Amino acid sequence: MHNIFGGLATGVIYSLVALSLVIIWQSTHVLNFAQGAMAMFATYIGMTEIDRGIGYWWCVIISVVVGMALGGLTERVLIRPLYGKPEINPIVVMVGFLGVLEALAAAIWTSTTRNITEPFSQIYYQDHGHLVFLSAFIVFQILLAIGIMLLVAALFRFTKLGLQLRASALAPEVSRLLGIRVGRMLTIGWMLSAGVGAIAAVIVASGNFGLFPTDMDGIFVAGFIAAAVGGLESPIGAVAGGLLIGLAEQFILAYWSPNVAPLGGIIILVLALMIRPQGLFSKSVSRRV
Amino acid sequence: MNWWRGLPRQETTNSRVAAVAALTVLTLFVTFFLPPVADSELAGGAAIAIVILGLSWLTGWSGQISLGNSGFMAVGAYAAGIWAHHHAATPLVFTLLLALVAGGISGLVIAIPSTRLRGPYLAGMTLAFSAAVTPLAQNFTSVTGGEGGIFLNSLVTPKWFEHLFHGANASINANAQWTADLAVVVAGVMFFFMANLFHSRAGRSMRLVRDNDVAAELMGVHLARTRTMAFVVSAAFAGVGGALYSLLEASVRPETFPLTLSITLLTLMVLGGIGTLSGAVIGGIIYSFSANLVSHVNSLTGVNPTSNLGANMQGIIFGVLLILTMLFAPRGIVSLSSPLRRLWRARRPLSVTQEVQ
Repeated sequence: MHNIFGGLATGVIYSLVALSLVIIWQSTHVLNFAQGAMAMFATYIGMTEIDRGIGYWWCVIISVVVGMALGGLTERVLIRPLYGKPEINPIVVMVGFLGVLEALAAAIWTSTTRNITEPFSQIYYQDHGHLVFLSAFIVFQILLAIGIMLLVAALFRFTKLGLQLRASALAPEVSRLLGIRVGRMLTIGWMLSAGVGAIAAVIVASGNFGLFPTDMDGIFVAGFIAAAVGGLESPIGAVAGGLLIGLAEQFILAYWSPNVAPLGGIIILVLALMIRPQGLFSKSVSRRV
Repeated sequence: MNWWRGLPRQETTNSRVAAVAALTVLTLFVTFFLPPVADSELAGGAAIAIVILGLSWLTGWSGQISLGNSGFMAVGAYAAGIWAHHHAATPLVFTLLLALVAGGISGLVIAIPSTRLRGPYLAGMTLAFSAAVTPLAQNFTSVTGGEGGIFLNSLVTPKWFEHLFHGANASINANAQWTADLAVVVAGVMFFFMANLFHSRAGRSMRLVRDNDVAAELMGVHLARTRTMAFVVSAAFAGVGGALYSLLEASVRPETFPLTLSITLLTLMVLGGIGTLSGAVIGGIIYSFSANLVSHVNSLTGVNPTSNLGANMQGIIFGVLLILTMLFAPRGIVSLSSPLRRLWRARRPLSVTQEVQ
């Protein structure tokens, strides 16, 4: 039971990252390798503002807004010239962007860990003298993540913007004929995704261990595995995959050996791919040739 | 760089092999005149060039991409390091062969589940692998030496080499030159193999798989097997390069193979030119100069090299270079020579070179 809470706490972070990857994948068919680094960078900017004495919530809002701006800008400047090129090209460009962002962050803010003072207590609750891996902050973190996911789902399902986003991802040509500005929709997709990613980084930064420039590498990998396990086409799959990875890591740590924990994600990925290569939650789509 | 392509020839392979041999001998000659520091930088560049060539083969010829080659380097380096640590008397050739096999096997293990994956999935999978390697090396302390790593005896300069070239003085010069020559020869041998592989049956079927996998399958090419083969070769090259690099450094440590190394490798490959021998050579040369290049940029911009910005300058420069190259000259430095070449042999029919655009 203790481990379940711990697993869920990390799992929601992975879910958020996976969700942000899926949003970008659906809109532009790019796997954004700089997703974690972009979120990290945005959160660092939010953290410098908190040093000037603004409150926690302003820090969250600034991080998300900066993240969205960064996401939109990235799509316009780095990704737009590459549409229609081989799929390796955007991967390479985003890997380069990842390197630049991490080096820049280390240059500006040093590579030591930084922490945001969180609004809720980090002290674990106790159950008859036993520690439970659950604190007010973890409850807040899980609720915040669920709230964001519901918000994204509602946006896609119930608003006109969401409909346009889905339409331009599914059939860009037809959408353009129907008067949707597809280019703008792609930018908005990237902004949304980067905003969701920034929330994940903010949660990491407020947690016990804080944030350092290359911190999001591991989280990005876990988020990618979650998205791949769920199928890059499926937001629900991404969220479920994230929770699964978080729980699995926690249980490997607790019951097996912390030494093999880094391999946990890969093992799950390999197993899932052997069962269903297109992802557990994805509708089977064969690649057209 | 490509002057020999203008020469009359029958078989592409022969001219490439001749070029590899010529370049190797030329580089060996150059090592005589370099100061020790430059010699050791050259040796590092030669080791990295091997890894770049393996990556270049994978990306340029089979159309797959890997962010895991720093991981394969680590596997090769640890295999060689652990062996050399316990059996110090083993000939170097054997240690490197061991690294080749270890790298190849790790490539096979990663390739078997990944051959079903395409593009981004595959890149993510290999990224997950290279991200896992460093923590694994840190955790399994009894085998890998943990954080501190394994220390190796530095390479011994044989007596005949000293007698022949340095008048029996066991100087730093002789040592640096010996290691540089060693690295260059190993790189030459690996480039020789790759030059042959490019135009072998395997290389041709690889290109067919890359360009049109349905057609390839109709021609009787086994898709999964071909893609796996590409991965194994690439990982084996990375293993040798990583082992050589560690032997030159005389230590194997986890922090030698961070995730950023994969980014550096990718940058060097793209800068040089994907899928070409000369591109890998250029990548290796750039790597040899990278420390000097970074300190030059630091001094030009007046940045204190020990400051935060100065310490991270290399990451910034390489990342920006990678993005700019991919956006504006996706075929790399090699492609810049093609207008010249076209002028040179205007009357010859252009060979069909399809590269990543």
